[in-house]
Amino acid sequence: MANQSPDRRAVLEMLAKVAVVSQFPGFSRWSFAAENEHSAPPKAAHYDPQFFSPAEYRLLDQLSELIIPRDETPGAHDAGVVEFIDHMVAHDPSIQFQFRRGLGLVNALAFQTQAQDFLSLPLDKQEGVLRKIATPSQSEIEGPAFFKLLRSYTVMGYYTSRAGLESLDYPGLRLYSASPECPHKDDPEHRHLPPPRY
Amino acid sequence: MAKTYDVIVIGTGAGGGMALHTLCKAGLTVCALNGSRRLDPKKDFRNHKQPYDMPFRGFGDPQKSKNYIGYMDNEYTEGIWEHDIAFTTAPGTEWTWRRCFAVGGKTNFWGRSSARFSDIDFQAASRDGYDVDWPLTYQEIAPYYSRVERFIGVASTVQNRPSNPDGEYLPPMNFRCIDRILESGANKIGIPYLPDRIAQLTRSLNGHPACHYCGNCTTGCDTGSFFSTPWCLLPEAEKSGRLEIRTNALAKNILVDNDGRASGVAYIDRDSKQEVEVHAKAVVVAASCVESARILLNSKSRHWPTGIANSSGQAGRNLCDHLYGTTARGYFPQLLGQPSFPDNVSDSTIAWLPRWQNINNPREEKFIRGYSVYPDGGCSGFPWYYDTIAGFGRDFKREIKRRYPTPIGFYVQAPTQRSDENYVDIDPTVKDIYGIPAARLHFAWDKNTLLMWEHAKHATEQLIRASGGEYLGAGEIDIPGTSLHETGTLRMGNDPQSFVTNRFGRTHDVPNLYICDAGVFPNCTDKTTTISILAFSLRSTEHLIENFPQFKA
Repeated sequence: MANQSPDRRAVLEMLAKVAVVSQFPGFSRWSFAAENEHSAPPKAAHYDPQFFSPAEYRLLDQLSELIIPRDETPGAHDAGVVEFIDHMVAHDPSIQFQFRRGLGLVNALAFQTQAQDFLSLPLDKQEGVLRKIATPSQSEIEGPAFFKLLRSYTVMGYYTSRAGLESLDYPGLRLYSASPECPHKDDPEHRHLPPPRY
Repeated sequence: MAKTYDVIVIGTGAGGGMALHTLCKAGLTVCALNGSRRLDPKKDFRNHKQPYDMPFRGFGDPQKSKNYIGYMDNEYTEGIWEHDIAFTTAPGTEWTWRRCFAVGGKTNFWGRSSARFSDIDFQAASRDGYDVDWPLTYQEIAPYYSRVERFIGVASTVQNRPSNPDGEYLPPMNFRCIDRILESGANKIGIPYLPDRIAQLTRSLNGHPACHYCGNCTTGCDTGSFFSTPWCLLPEAEKSGRLEIRTNALAKNILVDNDGRASGVAYIDRDSKQEVEVHAKAVVVAASCVESARILLNSKSRHWPTGIANSSGQAGRNLCDHLYGTTARGYFPQLLGQPSFPDNVSDSTIAWLPRWQNINNPREEKFIRGYSVYPDGGCSGFPWYYDTIAGFGRDFKREIKRRYPTPIGFYVQAPTQRSDENYVDIDPTVKDIYGIPAARLHFAWDKNTLLMWEHAKHATEQLIRASGGEYLGAGEIDIPGTSLHETGTLRMGNDPQSFVTNRFGRTHDVPNLYICDAGVFPNCTDKTTTISILAFSLRSTEHLIENFPQFKA
């Protein structure tokens, strides 16, 4: 089991402790917890888009990265958000048309305002086009609706990836031997905490 | 001749599980009927899976997720909740009915809050003049609560609340930052904020390991660190050699002998779709409130033309439910940008606001009785609040991170009161795919409950502000049935003309027929139902055992 993930290892360690303290002859009943059979299919090293064309896929990848860019932590591109979106859209005909049309809209606006393909634009111009798409106006409701959809799926994909959850320091990646307790004993109202870290 | 069991138990949830365990230990043979399969924790409990281990990241296959019912039915629990449930609603009624037919029923995934009922509940009618008192006192049921608590393990503190008797508790869960903040705010405005009574093991108990605080309780616990029938009751019952569980057995109706007494149960084997009969000297019905009423109403015979044990005409009547809904949402600016804290180690069931209304004077509010509130917040998994943040890019991402420890919300648990308008009967035309006539729900929130909702919205908004938080608004009332705390279709009471069961859950009409679920509760109080189902089922089953010698095949 050399390739087991750190959290799975933590589960195993926890269960080993549990078995010792419980003194219960039937503890093998829960020893399987770390070896749950219901696994996702192993992730392919290379992902082939199921729904989007190669050009759409590249555009979607960049749009997701604009929404959640790499900073001190990985961005949407690093986290493979585009794979998640393609996977979900491929399984959900009810949003396929809106995604495809929305991507077309982005390129159309890039040509209209910058006379260039979206992906050929410099970053600040790309952001400008996306901002314009996102802004509601009397004549334009399709763009903002697409932006909302795109942003939702980007957030869904990023914050359910390992990288995204680690960027939040998601506490569910660990197990605890006791119920965690507020460390600010002298400050019940939490008015005098250290300066914000983020 | 086919085997005659001592007792048939319909259902293996909290009520049925406690009944079969108690009966087997007393030396009786039991046939338990269960609507679906046994769960295999190895395959069916995915509580240690991270979203990125799931094919659809926990959101579910879009083709299937459309049919998910409520938040517990999701990719993690796929294939466990029933989706072809036979029930209809009367015009104007909205109702959701999540059904888990797996062995152990909803105890596999329950919310674990476990407060005792009290005399303020049992004698509420004497205090405020509405409806009737329960046919027993707290003193009579208290020993059963103690036995259940010692058996399943409930973590809490002694709180001396007049509406919430204290029990025998394991060490409480610790308060998190959000709890300390809310506790301070609650003290300022004079409402209680205390450790919940939670059936979750803060230390190992009776051979079950302590909780490991993974926080995914409602997808099933693969270490058995909170009470469920399969982890806590079945092993001992099965070891007795006196229990036979028939799975995929959907109870259809109760069979009667020539005297109109219960003699067995007819069920549909879901695999073969054939009707099968099984016989016993006594029958315990614990299929959960609405389903149990449906079974009784569908059990028509020469002796019982309107359904077995229904000479009072009250079977299916007096349906009560808990109104659930988010009364207030907000966030704590004092936690912005602070490091993550493990707030979600117990599916957020750590603290509660036990009933504080109408305590000293039963008429001090515009409504009668009272409600309780559960807080929820802090660092959870997915940052659902992202929708309240505008824009995109670095600022958007930073703001999601900054707000991660800050969200706070409150969920109210407000009881409806008995009324003639809320009930379940049998749909005259609709049957389920097995040919069993469907239950039909008639239900609407009553004015009293809606006044509680308004009161709770105001109180929790005040609490957010008093705690230094920013109030962001209230949510909506959930659709009736959401709480899974329906009660009252087979109420217990002393008068056989007005109640289906007596004070021991035994039907007035049929001495060898017992009801061991929340159907017997005359109303639903401000407390959750499971621990009371366990305590009342234990008491009823021991009553059955005492009387068993008079039951004959």
